[in-house]
Amino acid sequence: MALLSIMATFWLTIFVIFVMLNRGIWVFTDVSKSMSMFMLEKALGPAVDFVEGRKGSGAKTWIMHGALWLVPSSFFIFSGLWLAHDPTALNSLSSWGYSPSSEELILAGNLTALHGAIAMLLIGAGMHIVPKLGGTTLASERNATLMSFVWTLSVAIMMVGAHSPQLLGIKVLFIGTMIQSLVVFAVLVNQLLTASSRTRKMPLPAWLIIIGLISYPVAISVVAISGELETGLGQWVLVRMVGGAFFFMQIAGVSLYAASIGTGNQLWSRSLSAVILMGAIFTLNPLGDTTGSIAAGLLGLEQGALETSNTDVIAGSFLMALAAIPIIALSSNILVTMRGDDVFVENPDYPGMPEINLGGLMLIPLGIGALFIQTDSITGTNELAGISGTMLIMVVWLLMIPLSLGPALAIFPEVSGRSLLSNIRSRWAFWMMAGGAFSGLLMTLMADFSDMALLELDPESNLDGISKEIRVIGSVLFYGTVIGSILHCLNIISGTFRGSISGADQSTQSTSINQESFKLTSGTTVRKILASGANLDTEVVPTLQTDRPGSQTEL
Amino acid sequence: MEEGAPIEIGEFIQGEGEPATSWLFLVLGFVSSITFLVLYGILYPGNDLPVISSMLPMFEGVFDSGIWFFILGLMVGVFAILGTMLSEVTSE
Repeated sequence: MALLSIMATFWLTIFVIFVMLNRGIWVFTDVSKSMSMFMLEKALGPAVDFVEGRKGSGAKTWIMHGALWLVPSSFFIFSGLWLAHDPTALNSLSSWGYSPSSEELILAGNLTALHGAIAMLLIGAGMHIVPKLGGTTLASERNATLMSFVWTLSVAIMMVGAHSPQLLGIKVLFIGTMIQSLVVFAVLVNQLLTASSRTRKMPLPAWLIIIGLISYPVAISVVAISGELETGLGQWVLVRMVGGAFFFMQIAGVSLYAASIGTGNQLWSRSLSAVILMGAIFTLNPLGDTTGSIAAGLLGLEQGALETSNTDVIAGSFLMALAAIPIIALSSNILVTMRGDDVFVENPDYPGMPEINLGGLMLIPLGIGALFIQTDSITGTNELAGISGTMLIMVVWLLMIPLSLGPALAIFPEVSGRSLLSNIRSRWAFWMMAGGAFSGLLMTLMADFSDMALLELDPESNLDGISKEIRVIGSVLFYGTVIGSILHCLNIISGTFRGSISGADQSTQSTSINQESFKLTSGTTVRKILASGANLDTEVVPTLQTDRPGSQTEL
Repeated sequence: MEEGAPIEIGEFIQGEGEPATSWLFLVLGFVSSITFLVLYGILYPGNDLPVISSMLPMFEGVFDSGIWFFILGLMVGVFAILGTMLSEVTSE
């Protein structure tokens, strides 16, 4: 019953917070608002004067940090995959006191990818999307900018902690978590203040981002209050809740917004967006690690053994199976929004669109695969334990990173005022990253299956045969993600300085979620425009027309 | 294009652009290095290259895995990012 009681408390807490936020019965009275603003800026003293408070600077800094974290995270994973077949490859570094194992490198890669790249890209994108959809500005740009550096520091500490969990008797990962918690609190207050000053009703993507942020501290608090934080079950549930709420909901929010703004199509279904929000809260998302080891490590606890009652197994499996609903809803909402009336993605050259399309396509297969692995793990069968590590990396690099990097690239021109330096380089980076991750990890998955089959036949069997050869190819192919990450970083950095300036047309372009304007990318009927929520005052903005012979006439 | 319509033949136009001098020197340097290696192999067959051959043993046991080629690639990428940051910030 432990699982159900934790989940019930979580549902109740999130529901109460959502109602309070949505109905305006919130603690943010005028006094607490000014107190919060004081805490965000003046209370930080001279530190906050080191950063600028220009519009969009917070989101831009977070996105740039997130993009930079892609490079070390992809390289750690590559090195981890390499050391899986050549464990002595980095032995020469032992004279400098550094002799990592494959597991340590993959843990470092996953932590930097999840907390560095993905989380920073999502928070950065959220800092642009929430104010935009609320018709307001971010409460404190200076605090947002400053906090990005503190968050980066916490990720760097986590990176060290993945290699050396204890230094001088101090649990390094826990220090990283503590620092990160402070930043989450600051970001949350910043976003809540922003939401409280909204001038219009905010669409669901903004709520997905805010509730996703809130659910992070709520999930930890609920498991801690239930007294299950030190048990294997509590740690496992915490991983599921943080993965399903903090990451999944934010990913859903930013990718739905970007799918609409990048293609100029209206968001396909509002009811599906509501299903995603409700489904992410009321189910257990199977995407992610099969154990609670990450939660235990980050909270400085010993990993507990996963001991479950029959009720826990049934409830857990049922809630994970139900998670297919928000996953399918998100996938279909993204893909149909991107395609509009056509079978192909409209405006496919817009930066970030290929990434979002890839992530949308991978949601269902990876979701189903993860469900099988999770149910295998929670029931104690452990027949698929051999592929769970590779599956986690696939979820990170083929789903979470595309669905966080893509939206960040799509909103970058609006955030920074300049376009990316080159759309062609962006496309190259996508193919390198997606191709490297897909082919490399597929090869590694094949090697995992081969090892599992051999071990099943003979537990003493030597695994240096064919699977080792496949792992070599897999790790070399995965190097494409490192090159893709570097290309993306170069494109973003150069774009910030030399990218073409986003004109008035581009800076004011908006998604059909915001009904001030409607982007017309292809011929459509007035009925469809009105059905998307537009009214007689909505500005219809034609895009991508040219008067070259054989092309559409420029209006 | 309609069937049977006359095909327009484009006019040949000659530009006035020239390759950058830096690229010229890079290519010349590359060709000179290759020429030197070929000549050295013909003139002193079987002999080790001066300086380079005496330096290579220093790296034995250090770069003894293929992963180092990839690490070298990463280092180039990281320095490219740092270089881009510095040059973009300082350029006018």
